[in-house]
Amino acid sequence: MQHLIGEETVSSEIRKALVETLRVGPATIGPETSIVRDLGAESLDFLDLNYRLEQTFGIRMARHFFLEHMEEMFGEGSAIDENGRLTPRALAVLRARYPEATLPEHEDGIDMDEVPSLITVQAMTDTVMSILDTLPAGCSCGASAWRAEDGTHVICGTCRQPATFTNGDDLTRQWLSGLSEGSGLP
Amino acid sequence: MLFADKVAVVTGSSRGIGRTIALHLARAGADVVVNYRVRGGSSERQANELCAEIRALGRRSLAVQADISNRQAVRALVAEAGATLGRLDFLVLNAARAPFKPYERLLDRDLRQLVDTNFLGNVSCIREALPLLERSSGKVVFISSLGSRFATPSYPLGSMKAAMEAVVRDCAESLRDRGVAVNAVCGGIVQTDSFKILRQVWDGLDRLSPEVLVSPDEIAEVVVFLCSPAAAGICGQTIVVDRGLSNRVLR
Repeated sequence: MQHLIGEETVSSEIRKALVETLRVGPATIGPETSIVRDLGAESLDFLDLNYRLEQTFGIRMARHFFLEHMEEMFGEGSAIDENGRLTPRALAVLRARYPEATLPEHEDGIDMDEVPSLITVQAMTDTVMSILDTLPAGCSCGASAWRAEDGTHVICGTCRQPATFTNGDDLTRQWLSGLSEGSGLP
Repeated sequence: MLFADKVAVVTGSSRGIGRTIALHLARAGADVVVNYRVRGGSSERQANELCAEIRALGRRSLAVQADISNRQAVRALVAEAGATLGRLDFLVLNAARAPFKPYERLLDRDLRQLVDTNFLGNVSCIREALPLLERSSGKVVFISSLGSRFATPSYPLGSMKAAMEAVVRDCAESLRDRGVAVNAVCGGIVQTDSFKILRQVWDGLDRLSPEVLVSPDEIAEVVVFLCSPAAAGICGQTIVVDRGLSNRVLR
């Protein structure tokens, strides 16, 4: 856990990125605002958002959604069935990933295209915070003197090299592995 | 006006290269149908803004939602263009949709989507638009990319671009007697949304010299040329617009 960049800063930068990318008014953005459903973001917008956040915090966001990682880690069909609907296993992962989210209720299951609408401003904030929290104890130069430059970039106070964080895809894979081993997913 | 009374459909034109092409065609006098894929999202908003911009130029314009991977939607797109604007002279095939992953990581449905949109979707557009294009001795311009001929990291779209360049050659021959010209523009590294994506999957892209980065305007200018009478002698060609990137072994 790092204490150099707080959740408030991350949330504020995400709002700023949303305003710039989607050209929406800041007043329309709250923690529970769905980036897809409420703000109209599409897949290309997420890439733009991610790029802005990467530049802002010096991190690397996940290139692939957790459903894609599941399919790669546990085999094709493990997360999404042949009709594009989430498997019971993916549903369990989804609930773990977005515990606060109200999942759509359909008799025939949740379509994979409905999942991105669960990404709220708060969920994105949590994602960025989880990457920032992988800040290592010390710099490769041996010093343990991290500091936040401009409030958003963590650098070594001794050698001034930028901090290296675990990238978003690796973090998702680690999280899925832990979930799979720990809780006995269906 | 070069394209006075002409009508163009530009697929995938709410943003990026398609948007710039639509604007250039409108500035040259054409009325433009702006196509976008997702209803209710940011692209619909941008498509409507683009239409307003085109109308401010004194041209007619309408935004039509259609996912080109859906044959019925393509049929409706062409029908709406014909019914509202009365004719179709230029079909610019710009829409593309693909995951940015290497081939070995593509899922079956990724592959299906790749083919459905970028090959079958484009072929559907040509087939559905053909009756209107024949009537106006129209032009088809496909927007390709260097991925059609060079290995590009995490860019399976390249193989679809290659397939479509072949379709361009074939259709140019088969449709020539029906008065329809078919050509393509192959863009290098164009500074658009896709560039933002490539920057994320292609390490080192940020270190490329800015002199090799193509602007959307440079692509659009060549599309306008291919739609103009000046290009009457060009048939089945793919014109590379890459600021020389593919012309050198070392850079």
